[in-house]
Amino acid sequence: MAGSARERQFLDPAVLARLGTLELKARTVVEGLLTGLHRSPYKGFSVEFAEYRQYMPGDDLSTVDWKVYARTDRHYIKKFEEETNLDCHVMLDISASMGYVGRGISKLEYGQYLAASLAYLMNRQRDAAGLITFDERIVTMLSASARSGHLGALLVTLDRVRLGHATNVSKPLHQLADSLSKRGLVVMISDLLDDPESVVKGLRHFRFRGTDVVVFHVMDPDEIEFPFERVTRFEDLESHEEVLAVPALVRAHYRQGIDALMERYKRELGVAGIDYHLIRTDQPLELALTAYLTTRGRSF
Amino acid sequence: MSLLSPLFLIGGLAAAVPILLHLLKRHPDAAVMFSAVRLLRDAPVEQASRRHLRELLLLALRVAALLCCAVAFARPYFAAPAGEGGAALAVALDTSFSMSGRGRFERARAMAVDAIDRAEPGTAIAVVAFNDTAEVVSGLSTDRALARAAVAGLRPTAGGTRYRAVLSTAAELLRGRTGALVVVTDLQSRGWEASDRAVWPASLDIRVADIGPPTDNLAITAALATADRIVSTVRNFSEKDVDARLHLDVGGTADMQRGMPAGDLRVRVSAGQSAQVGFPRPQGRWAVVRVADGEGAEADNNRYVLLEGVSQPRVLVVTASGELSHEAFYVEQALTASAAGKPAAYAVVGAAASTLGGWDEAKLEAHAAIVLMSTRGLDHRGRERLAAYLRRGGGALVAAGPDVDSDVLAELIGAGRVTLVPPTVGGASAPQTLAPGDFRHPVLQGFSGQASLSLAVFRRVSEMRVAGCATLARFTGGQPALVECETGQGRALLFGADLDGRGNNFPRQATFLPLLHEAVRYLAGDRKALDVLVAHAPSGVPPVPGVAPLNPAEQGGPLVAVNIDPSESEPARMTTQRFQQSVERVDTAAPAAAVTLATEREAQQHLWQYLLVAMLVLLLVESVVSMRTA
Repeated sequence: MAGSARERQFLDPAVLARLGTLELKARTVVEGLLTGLHRSPYKGFSVEFAEYRQYMPGDDLSTVDWKVYARTDRHYIKKFEEETNLDCHVMLDISASMGYVGRGISKLEYGQYLAASLAYLMNRQRDAAGLITFDERIVTMLSASARSGHLGALLVTLDRVRLGHATNVSKPLHQLADSLSKRGLVVMISDLLDDPESVVKGLRHFRFRGTDVVVFHVMDPDEIEFPFERVTRFEDLESHEEVLAVPALVRAHYRQGIDALMERYKRELGVAGIDYHLIRTDQPLELALTAYLTTRGRSF
Repeated sequence: MSLLSPLFLIGGLAAAVPILLHLLKRHPDAAVMFSAVRLLRDAPVEQASRRHLRELLLLALRVAALLCCAVAFARPYFAAPAGEGGAALAVALDTSFSMSGRGRFERARAMAVDAIDRAEPGTAIAVVAFNDTAEVVSGLSTDRALARAAVAGLRPTAGGTRYRAVLSTAAELLRGRTGALVVVTDLQSRGWEASDRAVWPASLDIRVADIGPPTDNLAITAALATADRIVSTVRNFSEKDVDARLHLDVGGTADMQRGMPAGDLRVRVSAGQSAQVGFPRPQGRWAVVRVADGEGAEADNNRYVLLEGVSQPRVLVVTASGELSHEAFYVEQALTASAAGKPAAYAVVGAAASTLGGWDEAKLEAHAAIVLMSTRGLDHRGRERLAAYLRRGGGALVAAGPDVDSDVLAELIGAGRVTLVPPTVGGASAPQTLAPGDFRHPVLQGFSGQASLSLAVFRRVSEMRVAGCATLARFTGGQPALVECETGQGRALLFGADLDGRGNNFPRQATFLPLLHEAVRYLAGDRKALDVLVAHAPSGVPPVPGVAPLNPAEQGGPLVAVNIDPSESEPARMTTQRFQQSVERVDTAAPAAAVTLATEREAQQHLWQYLLVAMLVLLLVESVVSMRTA
């Protein structure tokens, strides 16, 4: 049997950034992830037969066609044509704060790869994937669709994403929540550097509408550890406010603040029934996808 | 402030480096576009103005540290204060006792004060008192009251006159300056000795203030204790005959300074002549002969004489264990031998060589002579004590037998002068006898024309290789038998065989005792009387006329009589021109003198050390501030 996902050597996001197109990146991540899972994710929700396929480790034994085995002495499983019954919207925060680059790739790049991978995965699962990019407002919006060619359009849109302005998460969230007519799944990728109360309130709006929500809180390691040593003049990416600080003096205070922020999101979103995942930009994308699949499997 | 090596100040240009860095890096802070700045708002952020001040402080600290380093290498010193380095006047006042006649010293003080008052305004003035030595009683200062007070505080002393001392001190005092030395003196001829060579900078003047010829004076020039009398010599330094009244006081142990009257005598002394008088020898430890003289110098009216040390000087015999009955039997017996009814010639004291290191100078000085029979156990300090004893005028008879080490001997009398090859114990050699070589020598004088010395047979003798010492006698084999080495003011007699009968029969011969007595008497010299001049008073003994214990810690120990130098009473004078001619003027290049003065000042002040410490402190503060800023 193949090794588990945890034992696999995932791709470093920095390495992933050097791959070619966004589609290739997404495919690499998703295929690499799916190949290693114990359980086949290709478990459709339709009963329409599609084809036979040779048994692979991790496949559900219940799908093995024993008659074929009796005839050919080989294990085959029956594959069914999957049909989507889920609308998935990926919300990508493109506010200026997402442009911070620490030691690897920026949060926006990480978010792009993650969104692309999710979209690819959704497409493979015959889920309808949509994309919304936002800063203080919704910048682009692609409705969820499972049509062929939609993935390409989505990836092109992702590829063309540029940094926006200040963050105001709650406004786009409410707009989207109001516009969704069908229950589904919303995946939000953001650094959540906004007023926590308004963010949580906006996400609760989805839950109120019966939509499942997964939040990927993307943070650069520098934002968590605050590793600066020299006296530094910090300029805010969004407000351009400047603060001159001696890192050694402010480090503890900063860490306390950022820890409290993350803890608050985790606690309040958990209470609201929203999956919260903290993702560092130096962590493999597969971890985020695994988290998504866990939520996806639990919900449907 | 002046600099000894100003070129090192070029190193101070390094201070420009931090300044340039500061100017070039006006915004030294790293700039980071950050996403969570709002979390830093409430943090204790650095205020820009405060940071600017801190940066300026850092810059100042760094620049100051570099400048401190550069200035330290330039070796700074504070130049002469106001008045110093310019005109100076040294007033030297003769305090020898020849200045103590009626009204003479008051006149000398007045002349010294007059010299002070006549000095140009702003002249730095110093006062020097001199007799056998010179002492600066008031350093160079423009405060004339200070100089006058110093002169007023001077008194005549019991010392003699030595012009060389005051010239040397004054030359040192006035070095690097312009000015003069005023010598207030009675111009005694004896102030210059034949061997004196006084060098004086040609740039400085010498002026002599003559207080005039001495007044009429009576002086006790000698006092000698014989077996039954105290013979004293009184001299009349005047141009008329004088009836001199002499008194004899005798002292015991209870009161050292005050004597009890023991006799009065009156004698007529012709003008410019001397007369001898004899007092019956009283019982006591010491006596003083006084002459009544109300006109002349007071210090030469008394002369002290010891009564106990004369008849029985102490001789120290050093052996391996200090047991004289075993290791120096014959020497002890010979030295303590006495004629019928008379006391022993010497008081013999035995000591182990190993104990001499613990002796102090006074204890060793109490002995008229030393007989060194063994150097076994004589440590380094003990050798130093013995060598110092010899240099100060002591005498030692060294029995160069098997117990005396050649290296130790070299330390005592000087390396390379006598190399000793001790006799081989048990080794057989042809018997030898003594063959005196120089019968004119005091030790051998009494043996001239006698063949008795040749009766002693020596089977083992030490081979002495002599260089720089006089050989007084040889063995018949040609090897030196008796060698005299002068060391400092003292001397050592080296006998090339054992004095306790080992390897020879000399101690059992009739010539042993007289030879040993003559040798010890020769070595003891004047020391047997323990009579010293004021200028040569042993350490621990006050340099004033009188009688004092040689070792204050030793109750009933030997005494020492301290007397003035009788030659100081001589009224012979020189002229001012002769005085000036006696001084050798030398040209000292002014720049060289200035450099020497500057070097000395710098060495005295050593400001560079303080600057380097300041630099280290600055760097330390800089590190602390820097760490808080970085």
